Amino acid sequence: MMVRTIMTVLVAAALGAAPAQAQLKVVTSTTDLYDIAKAVGGTRITATHIGEGYQDPHFIEAKPSFVLQLRNADVWAFVGLDLEIGWMSLLLDGARNPRLNPGGSGYLDVSRAIAVIDVPTGNLDRSQGDVHPLGNPHYWLDPENGRRMAKLFLAKFSELDPKGTAVYDANEKAFEDKLGATEKGWAADLASIRGKPVVAWHTSWHYFGQYTGMKIVAYMEPKPGVPPSPSHLLSVVAAIKASGAKVIIMEPFYDKKMSDLVARQTGATVLVLPPSVGGVPGTPDYFMLLQKDVSMLAAALR
Amino acid sequence: MFRSVLCVAVVALSTTAGAQQAGSAPRSKADSVAKATADSLAFVREFAKTVSAPAAPARAVGGPQGATNPRMLPDFSAVGDLVGDLSPKGSTQGDGSRLGVREVELAIQSVVDPYFRGDMFLAINDQEKIAIEQAFLTTTSMPWGLQARIGRYLMPVGKQNVTHRHDLHTVEYPYVIQKFMSEDGLKGTGVSVSQVLAPFGFYQELVVSVIDRFGDAVDSLQAPDAVNKNLGGLGYSARLRNYWDLSQASNLELSLSGITGNRQTALGFTTTDGTNAVNARQTLVGADLTYRWKPLQQGLYQSFILQAEWMRQINDQGWLANPDAAGAPLIRNYDGAYVFARWQLAQRVYAGARWDTVQDPTFRGARLTAGSGVLEWFPSEFSKLVASYERRSWVGGIAEDRILLQATFAVGPHKAHPF
Repeated sequence: MMVRTIMTVLVAAALGAAPAQAQLKVVTSTTDLYDIAKAVGGTRITATHIGEGYQDPHFIEAKPSFVLQLRNADVWAFVGLDLEIGWMSLLLDGARNPRLNPGGSGYLDVSRAIAVIDVPTGNLDRSQGDVHPLGNPHYWLDPENGRRMAKLFLAKFSELDPKGTAVYDANEKAFEDKLGATEKGWAADLASIRGKPVVAWHTSWHYFGQYTGMKIVAYMEPKPGVPPSPSHLLSVVAAIKASGAKVIIMEPFYDKKMSDLVARQTGATVLVLPPSVGGVPGTPDYFMLLQKDVSMLAAALR
Repeated sequence: MFRSVLCVAVVALSTTAGAQQAGSAPRSKADSVAKATADSLAFVREFAKTVSAPAAPARAVGGPQGATNPRMLPDFSAVGDLVGDLSPKGSTQGDGSRLGVREVELAIQSVVDPYFRGDMFLAINDQEKIAIEQAFLTTTSMPWGLQARIGRYLMPVGKQNVTHRHDLHTVEYPYVIQKFMSEDGLKGTGVSVSQVLAPFGFYQELVVSVIDRFGDAVDSLQAPDAVNKNLGGLGYSARLRNYWDLSQASNLELSLSGITGNRQTALGFTTTDGTNAVNARQTLVGADLTYRWKPLQQGLYQSFILQAEWMRQINDQGWLANPDAAGAPLIRNYDGAYVFARWQLAQRVYAGARWDTVQDPTFRGARLTAGSGVLEWFPSEFSKLVASYERRSWVGGIAEDRILLQATFAVGPHKAHPF
């Protein structure tokens, strides 16, 4: 009798001490999606991400260990627009999780919430480089799209976990409020950026350019995904001299030597901006990511 | 009209029944009927409104509208595999060509229905003309994490055999695969089932397969019976993959494989009824180890792979009455292995080296050793140019140098990068 009582007390204590069970297991392709999903899902979800913020999201390796994350997931959220085309199908195939198959309850193509830009028209072929036929996938660098992403997570989490709707709703509102407040903080920086010419490495800064008003006058890549050639670098040098661009912006995963070479020829500054959460130190969340990008660019352009 | 009346009646009855069960306040029968009729009419009006209204858009915000493949066409793609042989003592290719189209592969791939994906690969070359390289269904919604594959596929035996030849990091398969399986790898037609496991906290995958026969039929060999006459003569294989992340940048894979089945074995003479072979059991066991390093931030420019694979071919001698008799065919077991390393020198340039050793069953087990170096250049993800030098020699002193060039190109949709 005594033993049974002690056992009952121990079990009750163990149950009481256990943290609340997360309702949804969410896996995202990038750190940006992860951070926004966490902001909306709060403690009702567990989330992991496949790519890191300092990694080229086009070329993530489909490691079998990622399969283990996906095989029990409730939600697979990805950027879409073919950003993950080089690795996503291998992981989903390996995961054998019908919820994550196209059309499944957990298959969340976040681009469906976005007003996509750079959708090619006319005849497309690979002579144009690594073009994305469905449009530019680097949409998360516009805070307005961050809001849309948060709303999409709210809808998906509420659909799969209706009991958590009020929590998700409150979290999403808190996310929007914080984003709005953060945006107000960099209004002066935006004024320094608007209308200024810059050079970018890849087409990944279009949405950011749309938001900040910076004018991208040339790309280090001659075509999307194609490394710079000497003749193309000459044309970039000419474009910088003609436009007066002061800054070359690039992601941390590209080879800086080429940008440095152009910078030496033109006097421009090479700015390694984080393209995603965790892309450089000091960008632990979506707000800090945007703040870092805006403040660094503004400082370089002043 | 009749449908509306019927609908009203059905709904009235069901609503009345529901009211009787759930109602809490007492009310008269006339009240209940009137209430039910009113509810029913409201329901029918709502129903009519619903069916006549256009479908609401599924999404509230403005992403890309509609399906991206409204006609549900499968993915069509093709790979061209061109090989040049500049070896100093003449071509070492099977067809004797110096410059040739080794193969064109056509692929048709699509989801079939909610349960299967379908993949078909047709190989076209000057020798076989057109052949079914692979054609298989893969399940997409089996329970317990199982996945089944039905059809013809590259056999999950060994590491490199599951890679299409044109996707290899070298021009040809390692010799242990060429000599123990075939020059273009081992395929089988049957059923395989796989499951991903993690009982020890790391990734494991077990694949078991049953195929119609182990290896291709040899036209010149005539056995008294078909190799698959008995179920025991079919091909049976298993592979266990084990994978560990050593760090964010490096990982290790160690796998064990085996396949067994009847294969035609030459007698060394021809009987009066034209028989010149028997069906004897052959078993192939192996282990492979792959180490990969690719720093996440600089992964576009730096990577390294070290791979080794060992196989042992075990040939049944039980059918020989007296193996030591004069004129009896030589039946032995054979070993083979290779070690391969590949360094990334620049964004699109790689250098590799391979060392091979194998007891060649086609030369009574004479040991073949080879060392080779390879330089790969990828102008894009869709084309590859390769230059390779190899020196190979057999025990007994015969040696030759080989210089091979390869160009491959792919057209069609972007596919996943092999891991």
